[in-house]
Amino acid sequence: MFQLTELQHDALAEIFNLGVGQAAAAMSRIVNEEVTMSVPIVAFQNRAEVATTLDSPNERRICAIAQHFEGAFKTKTFLMFLEEKSLELVRLMVGQSLSMEELSEMEQEAMSEIGNIVLNSCMATLANISGRELQGSLPTYHVGTCNDILSHSDKEWDGVVLTLKIDFNIERHEIHGYVAFLLDLPAMNDLRDYIDAYLAKLTG
Amino acid sequence: MTNVLVVDDSRVSRMLSRQYILHKHPQWTIAEAASGEEAVDKLSDFTPDLILLDVNMPGMGGIAAVEKIREKCPDVHITLLTANVQDAVRERANLLGIHFAEKPITEACIDQIIASYES
Amino acid sequence: MLKHSSHELQLPLLSSVIKAVRTGIIVFDQDQRIVLWNRWIEFHSRLKEEAVLGKTFAEVFPDMVNSRTHIALREALANSLASLISQTLHKAPFPLYINAANPDKGVLMQQAVHVMPLDVAGQPRHCLVQISDVSTAVARERKLREMAQELQSQTFVDGLTGIANRRRFDLHLEDEFRRAKRNASPLSLIMIDVDCFKNYNDNYGHQQGDECLTRIANALSSVLHRSRDLLARYGGEEFSVILPETTAEGAERVAESMRTVVEALALEHAYSHAAPHVTVSLGVSTLVPEHSSQTSHLIHTADRALYQAKHAGRNRVVVFSEPNKKTG
Repeated sequence: MFQLTELQHDALAEIFNLGVGQAAAAMSRIVNEEVTMSVPIVAFQNRAEVATTLDSPNERRICAIAQHFEGAFKTKTFLMFLEEKSLELVRLMVGQSLSMEELSEMEQEAMSEIGNIVLNSCMATLANISGRELQGSLPTYHVGTCNDILSHSDKEWDGVVLTLKIDFNIERHEIHGYVAFLLDLPAMNDLRDYIDAYLAKLTG
Repeated sequence: MTNVLVVDDSRVSRMLSRQYILHKHPQWTIAEAASGEEAVDKLSDFTPDLILLDVNMPGMGGIAAVEKIREKCPDVHITLLTANVQDAVRERANLLGIHFAEKPITEACIDQIIASYES
Repeated sequence: MLKHSSHELQLPLLSSVIKAVRTGIIVFDQDQRIVLWNRWIEFHSRLKEEAVLGKTFAEVFPDMVNSRTHIALREALANSLASLISQTLHKAPFPLYINAANPDKGVLMQQAVHVMPLDVAGQPRHCLVQISDVSTAVARERKLREMAQELQSQTFVDGLTGIANRRRFDLHLEDEFRRAKRNASPLSLIMIDVDCFKNYNDNYGHQQGDECLTRIANALSSVLHRSRDLLARYGGEEFSVILPETTAEGAERVAESMRTVVEALALEHAYSHAAPHVTVSLGVSTLVPEHSSQTSHLIHTADRALYQAKHAGRNRVVVFSEPNKKTG
């Protein structure tokens, strides 16, 4: 299993905290409420472990927003919530009461934008420290089990998954979301290089 | 006079806790809240000495509620009620200086909570 | 020779297409200056092409500076990141009007906006903004939601299980209470709570939890036959039953049938402290209402009985009886 040193791990957590801080600011502006986001846990896992982390051992349904990136970092990324939690988040952002059946295409679009904001923020900070360009796709919306979501090119992903557990806080509601990055070997090495460069600049 | 706040989204669970506590201490005052948010609101006009808090509630869960409660009442004795005491949950709770009790809510469970508070 | 002429055809053709499409298209260059402004956006913004070409985003849209859209534009140019501005979270990002022809009818258009980086050969990165009019879709959604909410508030039916909801229960209880008072007849109430239901939900998932409640509701329903008997969903995992003209003994029989019929479902519940399958606890109370009696008294005593059932180990029926201090 891919491993970072404790220092590299801490640096990565800090990099992501910067990113989600910006995402939180963007979301606050949208709802005119204080939105705070924090990244308490960064982990490298395999597919089975991700399902457990999401509290989804019984194949509970997940809502996910997916984007893929190329350039500085080639990866497929997801922002994931348990289905009912995503509903709660949309309700808070949109301010209307809905049932799961009523979650229309438009609320799916709202979820897509939330994913877009969070994933772009996470990746932008990584891109900045890499000093290289990054191309990102538009977000797409998916619902399914954890395994469905993490499939890559119709195959089950058997590589490493970098997961961030993110706490969203809006109007005293706390919602847990997870960002997952599918990393192949080149991407993992790139990541390590970028973190080392970041550390070098800090201690430089 | 001891004030207790019982927080649980299940009406029946709140009722059970209330009955068991009153059975042990008939003169204590008990207030209820059905959610983390309600519990925080309640603190404006009710100052508890002891809070029973269910971990798994929709919206603001037990642990998030503890942090908000601590802001308003730093010294109140808090016991989290949970059916499965995962290590991660327990660790985080210990960091916040709060106690644990395992569900189901039985007389023994409440006795243990009260004993822990009184010690 | 052929390539050259088809290329000559291509450019004017593409230009006509861009002008004609019924979507807003704006292209910004590396300095955030407008280099393409199609007819659709010209019409709906009421800004002529000549007036905006070469001007920056901030000059043309001063109210949008540092908005989500502006940030998205910057990210597309700087970092090559694509962004979606959804119509649900932002009602009208750009100042566009539905009926632009009539300047007095300044109704803002609901928009879905996509902001994407654009690679242009031999030049620094540009940004493509596409804007769609989703006003009709939004209006339709709003109407549907209003209708659904109105239906919901008028209903006496629980959305999940199809049995009576709390509103219906409260009204029916009042009715039957008054009638029992007039006729001096016994009115019975059963309060039912699913044992360890939260554990069920947490471990088997909410979808399965919902199915479980539905099956329980159906099973409980099958026990009742009289027209004035009512089974209702009282709360999340609570049910209640009104039994007019029923004595305590009669109500106890009904309650025991209900307990049995739920147990007979044999729904596996590995996380229950009462049994390896789903069970319910039931509290029964009966009252012949007198002049000063209140429905709350009936509910309160049924609750006390339910508490006793839980206390005694769950999966059972307890009938309320006035506590006898000698026997405790």
